[in-house]
Amino acid sequence: MRGSHVIAEAATRAGCRFYAGYPITPQNELTEYMAGAMSRLEDGTFIQAESELAAINMVIGASMAGARAMTSSSSPGISLKQEGISYLAAQELPAVIVNTMRGGPGLGNIAPSQGDYFQATRGGGHGDYRTIVLAPASGQELADLTRKAFEYADDYRTPVIILGDGMMGQMMEPVEMEEPIDLRKLPPKPWILDGAAKRPSRLIRSLLLDTSVEEEHNWKLFRKYESITREISRAETYQTADAHLVVVAYGTASRIAKGAIKKVREMGLKVGLFRPITLWPFPKGALLEWSRRVRDFLVFEMSTGQMVEDVKLALEGRSNVHFYGRPGGIVSTPDEIAKEINSLYHRQHLEED
Amino acid sequence: MAKKTRQGKITIDRDLCKACYLCISVCPNQLISISKKLNQKGYYPAEFHKGTHGGENRRCTGCATCATVCPDIAIEVYRE
Repeated sequence: MRGSHVIAEAATRAGCRFYAGYPITPQNELTEYMAGAMSRLEDGTFIQAESELAAINMVIGASMAGARAMTSSSSPGISLKQEGISYLAAQELPAVIVNTMRGGPGLGNIAPSQGDYFQATRGGGHGDYRTIVLAPASGQELADLTRKAFEYADDYRTPVIILGDGMMGQMMEPVEMEEPIDLRKLPPKPWILDGAAKRPSRLIRSLLLDTSVEEEHNWKLFRKYESITREISRAETYQTADAHLVVVAYGTASRIAKGAIKKVREMGLKVGLFRPITLWPFPKGALLEWSRRVRDFLVFEMSTGQMVEDVKLALEGRSNVHFYGRPGGIVSTPDEIAKEINSLYHRQHLEED
Repeated sequence: MAKKTRQGKITIDRDLCKACYLCISVCPNQLISISKKLNQKGYYPAEFHKGTHGGENRRCTGCATCATVCPDIAIEVYRE
């Protein structure tokens, strides 16, 4: 299946019953698929909104009313949705937002890029909040993480971002889908606005003019983010047991890196891969653990260097962090990365370790 | 007597193409290149050069490798 279709189908099976979106390449196939999927369901709603702002605000409304809701866009469209994402976070509303990153800044181009890492992991919108960010790297993972995204969103009552890119959205891979969930078996949401007949009325708002109330709300969100950090950090490792050099990459870049590592392993270079699956919370613990025996890390991104900051923070200055990246929608080849690994390996005299 | 080589041609559906260029990488005679015009989706699609290309006498043999690798089934192959 095509990556965009995988997310849409997995979302439908995960109980998504509300989708609002506005077209933008390279994720139009997702919106298109959702139009079909939602219309085939008795209780599904699909809206092609008049703008990205409208779409995210419709998602806020649907989430308040208790639906599993999703919207998707690509970089420029996600920028427009940031205000809504901040409101979702403030009002503790679950929602899934898919960002199929493309070249930027500005309108950029429609080629795969990873330039929205900061926007996704640092919050993007205003205020003291975080969003869970998941970075799939294969068709199967698109399906699995989409389901997880809906679960995390409901469990923690927070917006979750699925951070793919043009490559993830367009590539075709075989996928095994999980069975659709039974919506009636989901735990009830005692906070939703579904009509106050026969119960006291509820209020969901983000305007907290009383500073002490706002402070308490901020600390409450902070405690939630702390427990998320403890509970859901995930990463994949590949050939790291004997590695002298560890490449850190996520999403599409990690697949290119894996190809490159296979090549340099044939030449006898001891190189491994660390692939964060959750970008926020960033899997710091594992990296810090390795800093005891791995002297050099190479961060590879399809940007001018964003995740490299998180890697440096995680390593607390204990190891050398190198960077290689190509922005603007350029997709490096495994050969190119293999060459870079090779020259770094010998420059740092890692063969002598 | 010259040995008769198999001849063929391909057509590429411009609007199905998503510009992954796998076909370009596998064509044994380098008869496919990148179009200078955008397609409906906004990509520069792959384009087939009929007959000879690049000044050499390279022709499509109808080997269908391009059609086999195309993930979007945008290529049709015709053999004479």
